[in-house]
Amino acid sequence: MRDLHAQLLAAHRAKDLGRLVNLYQAAARGPGAATLDERAFFLTHAYVHALEAGDERVAALHAELKRLGREE
Amino acid sequence: MPVHSSALDNLSTLDAATLRAVLQPVETARGLPNACYIDPACFEAEKHAVLHANWAGLAVASEVPEPGDALPLTFLGMPLLLLRDRHGQPRVFYNICRHRGMILVESARKIEGAIRCPYHSWCYSTEGTLVATPHVGGPGHNTHTAIKRSALGLAEVRSHIWRDVVFINVSGDAAPFEVMHSDLMQRWGEHEQPLFHGGADSRFRLNVNGNWKLAVENYCESYHLPWVHPGLNSYSRLEDHYNVVCAGKYAGQGTRVYRQLRDAAGQTLPDFPGLSQKWDKGAEYLVLYPNVLFGVHRDFAYAIILEPKSMEQTLEHVHIYYASAQIDEDLRARNTQMWREIFEEDIFVVEGMQRGRHAPGFDGGRFSPAMDGPTHGFHHWVARQLQLSGGEAQRRPTAQP
Repeated sequence: MRDLHAQLLAAHRAKDLGRLVNLYQAAARGPGAATLDERAFFLTHAYVHALEAGDERVAALHAELKRLGREE
Repeated sequence: MPVHSSALDNLSTLDAATLRAVLQPVETARGLPNACYIDPACFEAEKHAVLHANWAGLAVASEVPEPGDALPLTFLGMPLLLLRDRHGQPRVFYNICRHRGMILVESARKIEGAIRCPYHSWCYSTEGTLVATPHVGGPGHNTHTAIKRSALGLAEVRSHIWRDVVFINVSGDAAPFEVMHSDLMQRWGEHEQPLFHGGADSRFRLNVNGNWKLAVENYCESYHLPWVHPGLNSYSRLEDHYNVVCAGKYAGQGTRVYRQLRDAAGQTLPDFPGLSQKWDKGAEYLVLYPNVLFGVHRDFAYAIILEPKSMEQTLEHVHIYYASAQIDEDLRARNTQMWREIFEEDIFVVEGMQRGRHAPGFDGGRFSPAMDGPTHGFHHWVARQLQLSGGEAQRRPTAQP
């Protein structure tokens, strides 16, 4: 988890949006996402950065958040 | 958005009688009073009555050539975003998030997907639609019944593209551009054809320490040419020029002796196709009110957008266009250099008139009935806009000068 945190900070500093999507998706699957809200939190960040980047994963992330009742 | 109608009420320096003096026929009219050039209250009134209420030039669409290109601009203090949407349409939005008013885009860049507000990450499509509101309903909850995304898109400023210039009508209630400016569109109908921006070497900017209206006034008359531009006078004499005034719309001048630029081998710039004989040696230089200076020739055209930075400072954004994307680099550079020198020759006049406007006894000056028709036409139009804004709730068509 500490390693993931450091990687996230580095990706933010580098403004590497694709990497941020990867890392937030990983966070949503990790031990820091024990509850539904925590999982949705990380998926939301992955979704927002995918939106910003025009990343092809945006549709799947949107669908996942919608399935969880967290997105329109 | 309603037309501002109260700023003029507070002005003691610009009363009804002063405006009426400007609205007289050219033989007896006075020019706009000093207050229109040096009084901040007048600048504020003019901002609404003249620049917001009409179609003002903001930028050129060539500055955002590809879908997703975004250019933040400040115009009359307003943060704006010129953005080419994913369908290719240039649009103008206020450059602020609908959440807390944060500036969205700080520098020119490509929007690859959505515009993300750097504050709380609300996201907008390039069409201005609000597409994401992360955590708006609490952590991990991205919706809330009180936040209707469909009602919270970016606020768009009414815009219209003509001759690559992005015009905006901030008040939102001017007649449609193609109606308001049908006269000039018809006059230059032959020139309604693809324009190719010459690129980086065909755009430049001039800083002028003078009110934007003085740049208009100087541009639209030929009276000064033999004195200020002696180089032009060697082949384009004063008597070769004619005045153009279309009441309430545009004014300027034309020449009957335009001479094409040639390189050492005699090569010229390619012509715009299909022009009538009038344009073989004809060229016209017109101001489309309020703030765009156009020039058309058989083989190139230009647009100058006057950006009022303050009451006494104007940035002139010059863009030069050709009939083809493939233009000889040397000819293009020479053309830019020649016109840059001409426009620079005008700077001391605009700055001199600006300093002159601080003379308390100056009454706005007089016009030569023979030579100053276009300048008077512009003053008349500005005075009428101020009069309409100050005294009447409803805007009316501009009267004939």
